[in-house]
Amino acid sequence: MTMTCPFHSVLNQALDLEGAGVGAEGAEVAPKKEFPFMPIGQAYDMGHAPDGTPLFDPRILDSAEFARNPYPYYRILRDHYPVYFDKLHNTYWITRYEDITRCYFDEEGFNTIPKGSSSGVLGNTQLELSGVEHRRRRNLYGRHLVGQALEKRIYAIERLADSMIESWLSDSPPPGVTRNADGTLTIELGLAFANEFPIRVVCQVLGIPDDVKDKFFYWYYSMMTGLGGSETAPNGIRARQDLEDYVSSLVELRRREPGYLYDHAGKVVGKDIITQLCESVLDGDYLSTEEITSNIALIVGGGGETTRGAIMNMWYLLLLHPEQFAAVSGDEALWDTAFHETLRCASSIGGQPRHNTYDVELHGVTIPAGSLCQMVDFSANHDDRIFADPEAFDIFRSDLYSGKIIRSGHHDDGRHSHMAFGVGPHLCPGAWISHQEAVVGSKLLRRRLKKVSIHADKMPKDIDGVTLPPIGLGAIRELWLDIELA
Amino acid sequence: MTTTDDLGSNLELPHLPRNVRDGSGLRTYEIYQRQRVRDATPLIKPRQLRSPEYLVDPYPVVEILRENYPCYRDWVGNSFWITQYDDVTSVFADDLNYETRPKLWYYDMVGFGRNLGNELAVLWNRSNTWQQQAEPLANKIIDEIRSLGNSTDLATEFVARYALELLALRLDLPRADFNSFVERYWRMQRGYLWEPVAAQAGRVAMGELVDYFRPLLEQRRTSPGADLVSVIATLELPEGPATAEDLVVTLLEEDHQTLHGAMANLWYLLLTNADQYALLRDDRRWVRFAYQETLRHSTPVISAEKFALHEVERFGRVLPEGALMYLSAAAANRDPRQFEDPDRFDVQRTDLCQREPRGTYRADGLPAGVAFALGRPSKYPAVPEDRPMSLWALTRDAVVTGSRVLLDRLPDLRLADGAQPSLRSLRWGEMHTCWSLPVVY
Repeated sequence: MTMTCPFHSVLNQALDLEGAGVGAEGAEVAPKKEFPFMPIGQAYDMGHAPDGTPLFDPRILDSAEFARNPYPYYRILRDHYPVYFDKLHNTYWITRYEDITRCYFDEEGFNTIPKGSSSGVLGNTQLELSGVEHRRRRNLYGRHLVGQALEKRIYAIERLADSMIESWLSDSPPPGVTRNADGTLTIELGLAFANEFPIRVVCQVLGIPDDVKDKFFYWYYSMMTGLGGSETAPNGIRARQDLEDYVSSLVELRRREPGYLYDHAGKVVGKDIITQLCESVLDGDYLSTEEITSNIALIVGGGGETTRGAIMNMWYLLLLHPEQFAAVSGDEALWDTAFHETLRCASSIGGQPRHNTYDVELHGVTIPAGSLCQMVDFSANHDDRIFADPEAFDIFRSDLYSGKIIRSGHHDDGRHSHMAFGVGPHLCPGAWISHQEAVVGSKLLRRRLKKVSIHADKMPKDIDGVTLPPIGLGAIRELWLDIELA
Repeated sequence: MTTTDDLGSNLELPHLPRNVRDGSGLRTYEIYQRQRVRDATPLIKPRQLRSPEYLVDPYPVVEILRENYPCYRDWVGNSFWITQYDDVTSVFADDLNYETRPKLWYYDMVGFGRNLGNELAVLWNRSNTWQQQAEPLANKIIDEIRSLGNSTDLATEFVARYALELLALRLDLPRADFNSFVERYWRMQRGYLWEPVAAQAGRVAMGELVDYFRPLLEQRRTSPGADLVSVIATLELPEGPATAEDLVVTLLEEDHQTLHGAMANLWYLLLTNADQYALLRDDRRWVRFAYQETLRHSTPVISAEKFALHEVERFGRVLPEGALMYLSAAAANRDPRQFEDPDRFDVQRTDLCQREPRGTYRADGLPAGVAFALGRPSKYPAVPEDRPMSLWALTRDAVVTGSRVLLDRLPDLRLADGAQPSLRSLRWGEMHTCWSLPVVY
């Protein structure tokens, strides 16, 4: 066949018909693209503008490379596209610490009206409310998770951690615990402790009887994996329905027979949260079962995976930095610092969605009203405008605030609070209890340990098949340890 | 504890309307959107809507949506997919609740130039050029093709060239500049979507086109002809005379896809459906019907994006302000509620409106094929004497004229041996058409 008409080559050049177009079956042209794995901290070259500005391909956000090595890409966004409009996901990504702080405080300009993927499964929670409605609902249960109310619960948290560690030595140790011939143990920290511990604390705080604990794990797991319209969404929705059915029967019971919490002397220190919610009056009426369930679903969602991740990442990072682990071992007060630096360096939650109420111009980009603006907490925590050498894990860093968590955040004397809990009116209401769980549990565990080291053979490996994996986005799934109990 | 009010008052809020400042216009109460088990969408994964398969054949995927989830919430793309015919046309025609954003907005270049595409003189220019030039142009291209042998690629050598030369004729460009113009033009048209390298190249192309047109525009301002550049140069506009940027933006915003895409798809369908092809060869009257049926069966612009102007309650959902709606023409045009045996390419089908939809998509009580890029149904009940023909009618006539000339001049046109043509989008969001159609004659 003759093909001599010059126009053919013109169109070919313009459309690249023989390159990425007709010839290759979709690999380069569909929004799913395999990006090569890069060394940690180094970004794949997605092209450059004539002035040298690196280009950003939105497909990277869905890639395995990004999940493993996200920070160099966030750096490109912060440095060159502080407000990045991702047309593929119809999302504006906000990545600088200062901008995110401003947006979190601007409750009117960046609202939380329920358009989020979580509200489908969790139901309407105060995550999606603003202003006075938000404050009232949040305070209903938020007040049980802070201050004196929290102090009263610490004894129960300690006892729970102790009993879980004790069970490793029992005749039927929990899954993830192997007793070796020489008396040492090999444990997977998640299976043996971190997966279950926060959920059991939540159950206790809520007043869920022990006998439904297992079902509770299932509901929790299904709901968490069912967020975001994912393939497992039907399971999540179904689990949410089961939870609601169960909670409504529990609520009926608690309305008749209140549940109580006890201190070490067996004295009643207060009622459990469900009982208190049953007795709460809001806008002149008792809370409905639906409202109570939504709040419980939120507490369960917020209180489980996040704290698990904090414990796992904290131990992993400390054990990868033996000198810092030694310091923490020598001075228990440093656990607080280690907790905050862990959350700064590798937190479990990536950020929060907001929608702008009116047209906003930020860094020269006009965001039309109603757009989805994702506040990337991961990126804020690695913003080198705030934290020097942000990729390094360093509990002694001088620019991180690690005092008492406050809703206004902290940004004085050269120290900033990390963004893992957010800041402002929607600051994580579980921040304080999560802090206590992770620190109290870790302290107790550390006291019981004579020796501890990472069991490298059983750990998942990085792409080279040899070295330990980076944490990447979120939390590590497994942490295998060789330990010797005192 | 610090309250939110203390913190809020420290923030400098931009100048706002009163209902926003005092909070009375702000919604803070709950909208109940919790899903029940029956609301789950297990038959589809959002990734299927963005898969390589969708680029090649979107129809099976959108059929799942249309028949099961007519207003599908796509969490990955943060959007809603509307797929049934009545829903698609009603949203598309609803200016009060939804808006279309210009390509310049996607380019993040709002203010770069004015779109003069709705100026009457510009519309007359298109109408006159296409009506006068279509037939001679088709003959000229066929002359050239025939002089080169007895085989060619109909999609690129004829269809694409026909569409682009019609544009070049409107601009009255020197023959020597044609190739570089086409290359830049395509780069510009392909750049406004999500692909960053293409977006960068598109911006560069726009700059190059502005540099190219600036001297031409000045020259024709002083000695105008009948072409589009002269028309734009001599427009009297309230904000001052048109610039080269305005000309480029006008070219960017005008639909360039349907003439090219629908004609390629028409010939793809004819060459792969022998009985229908025979019908046209026997009686040219069917060419027009075939074009209509092509727009329905294999429309080149398979979806359009709309944004909700404010919160709308529709399709059993609260569609929030700013919500992105994908209107799927591919799904609507194969809606079995409207068309019998919708997957069949049938030139003689009687359930398709055969004239330009006017006012609604149901002129004559029949559904028309949804073809987004041609604009919405005209508000004029018939073409007024003093109005240029609509893009819808012009495109139809240009395709029909070109196709008639092809039928007349290359009467034994057929697929080359072993050719397996197919339709596909080159990139997600781009036109779905036939890019290679090897033929012999």
